[in-house]
Amino acid sequence: MSSAQPPRVPLFRAAMAVVKRDLLAEWRTRIAVNALFLFAFAVLVLVGYAVGPTRLAPEDRPTVNAVLLWIVIFFSAMTGLSRVFVKEEEAGTASALRLAAPPPAILLGKYLVNILLLFAVTAFIVPLFLVLMSFEIKCPSLFVALLVLGCLGLAGASTFTAALVSKAAAKGALFAVLSIPLLLPPLIAAVSGTQVAAREEDFKAGVDFVRVLVAYDGVVTTAAFALFDAVWRE
Amino acid sequence: MRLVAEGLSRSFGTRKIIGPLSFSLENGRVLAVAGENGSGKTTLLRILAGLIRPSSGHVAFEDGGTSLAPRDASHALGWFAPDLALDGALTAAENLDFFAAVRGLAPKAGAAGRWLEDVGLDPARVDGVPLRALSTGQKQRVKLAYATLHDPWVLLLDEPGANLDEAGRAVVQRVVASQRARGIAIIASNDVRDLALADEKLALS
Repeated sequence: MSSAQPPRVPLFRAAMAVVKRDLLAEWRTRIAVNALFLFAFAVLVLVGYAVGPTRLAPEDRPTVNAVLLWIVIFFSAMTGLSRVFVKEEEAGTASALRLAAPPPAILLGKYLVNILLLFAVTAFIVPLFLVLMSFEIKCPSLFVALLVLGCLGLAGASTFTAALVSKAAAKGALFAVLSIPLLLPPLIAAVSGTQVAAREEDFKAGVDFVRVLVAYDGVVTTAAFALFDAVWRE
Repeated sequence: MRLVAEGLSRSFGTRKIIGPLSFSLENGRVLAVAGENGSGKTTLLRILAGLIRPSSGHVAFEDGGTSLAPRDASHALGWFAPDLALDGALTAAENLDFFAAVRGLAPKAGAAGRWLEDVGLDPARVDGVPLRALSTGQKQRVKLAYATLHDPWVLLLDEPGANLDEAGRAVVQRVVASQRARGIAIIASNDVRDLALADEKLALS
């Protein structure tokens, strides 16, 4: 092989190596997992204690519960998902990674790690929330579709924003400032769709919100892959 | 194959750190970069590795009719530096297996063990031990393995002998000797033992 010819690095294989390495390191340190789950648990207990199922009028439950559920998911995401890139800069491992791994594989790997973390914390939050708040869902398929697509959007935007802020001095504040406007569109769609899922049995009643989330996830993912190389290397 | 740097300079704000510098290095040669603290040795190596951009000038890795900038030649570059860090929660072998995978090297059973042996570490002694629990000298050797596991054409060594015992220094000598057969090496250091490994010297002021 000529030195000028780079080896063909299979994107998915390299991304899976990033996933394996990050999950292994996370399993041993449990920093992001602890932050995500402890925050989610604390907020769930607080919401259950302060609001509870009996203090809400039946007609208000779909609206209030949908908002509260997505607030818990959103702030859990804000708490832990920036770590995928911030930890690389803080630990000084970013340069080694920059030199060795193709940027798209790094982004895909980090995105998959955040998706897995957010799916895990959502799987923890949602059943507890439904029980604690007696939140009845009339269209479970719509609800699950919104959760999956909403989490994909949150994870995608958070991952890219984390890469943007990882070299900044005030990472935490900057991450929130950049993420919140980026995440408002999917959050509004997810909250509105969840209200519909709690009121209507027909999937079609909330299909517009599903479409918004599909479009958002597509745009965010495409933009992230298009811009990441410049963000990561500069 | 050769490395060519022309009019290379780097400033941070109004403060010029290096340059303008021009030099070239042919296959099989070892260049030592010397200079007092703050003279820009580390900055020069980071530019050559493509980790930072020069303020002016350019670097090219030429091979036949092909010329690559450092950022397009990371597959052919190995970089070792005091501020290089690997994942402290993983073992030495897990770190090396990870970097081999993302570099696209074919998975081979026992490869990490051989890379560790190449830098004088007993794989059995560091097996299961997180990198952060190893001594500074052991970590230095793992970083050397990281820099060389893909048989790079250009090996950039920033203070390679720092924190190493005599056996560790012998490992550096071996690494530089095998690099001669493969391509070029650039060593940034003020230690006479490191500088003695080089054929050419570039003094920064």
